[in-house]
Amino acid sequence: MHERLSFYVHRESFLHHLNPLTKLTLVLGLILVAFMAPFYWTPHFLILFAIIPLGFLGRVAYQYFNAALKLILPAAGFLFIMQALFQPFEGQELFRFYFLHPTLESVMFAFSNATRIIVMVSSFTLLLLTTHPSELMSDLTRRGLPPQFAYVIISTLQILPQMQAKAQTIIAAQRSRGLDTDGSFVKRVGALVPLVGPLVFGSLVEVEERAIAIEARGFTSTHPKTSLREIPDSNLDRIIRWFLVVIVIVTVGLKIWLS
Amino acid sequence: MAIVNLQNVTYKYPLTESLALNNINLQVNEGEFVAIVGPNGAGKSTLCYTLAGFVPHFFKGELTGMVEVAGVESQKSKLHEWVLNVGLAFQNPFNQISGAKYTVYEELAFGLENIGIPRDEIKIRVEDAMSLTGIRDLADRSPYSLSGGQQQRVALTSILVMQPKVLVLDEPTSQMDPIGTREVFGVIRQMAHRGLTVILVEHKVEWIANFADRVVALKDGSILLEGTPSEVLTSDLLAENGFGISRYTSVARKAKAQGLWKKERLPVTLDEAVEGFALTPGPSPEGRGE
Amino acid sequence: MEITISNLQFSYPAGVHALRGISLEINSGEQVAIVGQNGAGKTTLVKHFNGLLQPTSGSVLIGDWDTTKYSVSKLARRVGYVFQNPDEQLFCKTVGEEVAFGPKNLGYDKARVESLAKDALAMTELSEKTETNPYDLSATWRKMVALASIIAMDTDIVIFDEPTTGQDAVNVARIAHVVKTLRERGKTVITITHDIDFCAENFERVIALSQGKVLLDGQANDVLGQEEILATTYVDPPQLTRLGKRLGFKQTVRNQEEFLTALKG
Ligand SMILES: Nc1ncnc2c1ncn2[C@@H]1O[C@H](COP(=O)(O)OP(=O)(O)OP(=O)(O)O)[C@@H](O)[C@H]1O
Ligand SMILES: Nc1ncnc2c1ncn2[C@@H]1O[C@H](COP(=O)(O)OP(=O)(O)OP(=O)(O)O)[C@@H](O)[C@H]1O
Ligand SMILES: [Mg+2]
Ligand SMILES: [Mg+2]
Repeated sequence: MHERLSFYVHRESFLHHLNPLTKLTLVLGLILVAFMAPFYWTPHFLILFAIIPLGFLGRVAYQYFNAALKLILPAAGFLFIMQALFQPFEGQELFRFYFLHPTLESVMFAFSNATRIIVMVSSFTLLLLTTHPSELMSDLTRRGLPPQFAYVIISTLQILPQMQAKAQTIIAAQRSRGLDTDGSFVKRVGALVPLVGPLVFGSLVEVEERAIAIEARGFTSTHPKTSLREIPDSNLDRIIRWFLVVIVIVTVGLKIWLS
Repeated sequence: MAIVNLQNVTYKYPLTESLALNNINLQVNEGEFVAIVGPNGAGKSTLCYTLAGFVPHFFKGELTGMVEVAGVESQKSKLHEWVLNVGLAFQNPFNQISGAKYTVYEELAFGLENIGIPRDEIKIRVEDAMSLTGIRDLADRSPYSLSGGQQQRVALTSILVMQPKVLVLDEPTSQMDPIGTREVFGVIRQMAHRGLTVILVEHKVEWIANFADRVVALKDGSILLEGTPSEVLTSDLLAENGFGISRYTSVARKAKAQGLWKKERLPVTLDEAVEGFALTPGPSPEGRGE
Repeated sequence: MEITISNLQFSYPAGVHALRGISLEINSGEQVAIVGQNGAGKTTLVKHFNGLLQPTSGSVLIGDWDTTKYSVSKLARRVGYVFQNPDEQLFCKTVGEEVAFGPKNLGYDKARVESLAKDALAMTELSEKTETNPYDLSATWRKMVALASIIAMDTDIVIFDEPTTGQDAVNVARIAHVVKTLRERGKTVITITHDIDFCAENFERVIALSQGKVLLDGQANDVLGQEEILATTYVDPPQLTRLGKRLGFKQTVRNQEEFLTALKG
């Protein structure tokens, strides 16, 4: 029932062997560059020449494209339509439909924004796919992040898969008591309604019980933590991190200089 | 010297009227194995929470009296320090998984990482504890895809690896198979011999009688009886108050009424029952049951 | 309604081969206990009865329904399953709603839903707690709510997965009473349990599973007397059976009456 509780896919790959902080820097770097670079085509360029190659480099391209098709593209598409239609930009009107009158400017703006969002979500997805959450947690706490904070990050990362597992459990329980969830679309949507309450409430109860359980195992202990797994942190990691920092600084500099 | 010392402990959960614990006095010595019995709602789990510091540090409410372990008072201590001394395995084994780990092995290491045990020692402790509870072959499994009893073994092991001074176990074998239960009791008994203090809540009286040093019978938040397993578990008071009793005891009580049990004290264990019923006059054992 | 299982094999997607060829026939109105060591496959087996799991190979028939051809919600008309973990089962805001959920879905009329719910609540002594949120009850009472919510469905087959864990003597007696009432109503009751004394006192047929296979299957007295074989699946015979053996009784005894009769000779 609860087979997969996170997005992590276990593989031997260059990305998997990078230090979690390096990957986090990479993610933040990609996002900053996508949002700050003063050139219109930067985010598009990043998707083609950074995100997709990284997916192959991490041997998770299949999982990445799967997530992109099911989650990232629909969300970005929705955002694009909303912004293209409703952003009140002056300029060349493309068409007029009742109160809607999108301009070329608003469409361009929405397109660029949607691509930036794709870069952001994609780079996080790649991080999740290639990083064992507890490695991320250990590494960050070892570097001084308070463990509670790290736990919040980890739990947030796991919330989607966990909700999904919980939802499956509840659906199994409801069907075992005769709730018919197959059949027409209306019926299926109708079946979602009795799911929402228990999903939220049940998750809250579980969160509390889990909070006590991890407390009993020294979670808030003030001792410096150790880690079962050896976390890689090579010179290459350090070089990549500094390289990324430089790129971000250059991007910010360009932006200031060109504006 | 008592390592656990409760004096006049009374506790009420927030927003409730009745006392969950009512004037509890309990001393437990180092290396002693004490079993707590009682019907549902007697306050057994609440007592466990109090020993483990969750009352009052997690569950608020009104706590009065003194809770002391190894000379430190729980009210004056911090929860994260307290749990290093007192380990608690919770009643519900299904919600004890940290949710941060992917294999049983890592799950067991979680607590040790938290308290800063070096990697090599983590491995030794985890592997030793897995052997004790018979879960070595689950090491690489996901902690979420286990049977009920397997989950409970993992939950118990995750506390054993912490090596606290005082181990509090709230019905640790409720999902376990019968021989597994007996083995776990045996392991706990051995650990107590080596100096670990154990306080265990259980309904399975036969194993309490075989392994525990002392029994405390709890009812409506108060201690009803306290003494050796044989004294407490054969008392008429227990049967009258809805406590679980061993089949040996209840059948001997019936036999006694019919003059078929000759000894003064009723049996709790198999050996006591065999010994007692051997005195029953009547057809020779060979002739019985024809 | 009989259950026919032929050559059932099941592997979890993660690769655990949990059931390794099980064939069984359970007749209408039978009271069956399933015992066996942790991880033997007991829960996995009964989850096939209401379609929550589908055979990897082999088949499960509930009456004339093949479980692969009927949805879980259809099978719920014939089989009620009380989960091992009540928290996986409860999702309503009050005990009353929880118990009425099943019978409502099965399309019974209002009066019948009410009377079934009332009856189930009375049997589990929850009548006072209908307005309570199940999560405000202790885990032991939540188990009772889970039990009531299935009994209320009035299915021909009822499955309990470890109903007595954590229950005190009074509640165990109450559950035994539920089993007896269901027997009198002609229901098939299948109970997974580690409480071997409870099993001995309330069930006529016992099936012992071991590593995904049937180890023993037969009359309670026959199965529960086989100490050495049961030990291979980590089960001890009941207390009184062990006592009878040690006292040299010729036949297997499993409850107080049988024991006292044998004692008198
Ligand atoms: N979180 C809580 N808030 C309010 N009251 C509670 C809480 N937990 C337990 N109680 C109440 O405190 C009393 C003692 O409960 P406790 O869980 O300690 O009993 P128990 O002996 O462990 O029972 P069981 O055998 O069912 O586990 C009960 O009346 C119960 O309803
Ligand atoms: N969701 C799952 N995914 C993968 N393997 C599982 C899953 N659930 C159970 N298993 C495995 O299948 C085997 C049979 O499990 P099952 O739950 O049927 O055992 P059980 O006889 O009910 O045991 P228990 O008495 O401990 O409840 C075990 O080895 C278990 O670890
Ligand atoms: Mg309790
Ligand atoms: Mg099970």
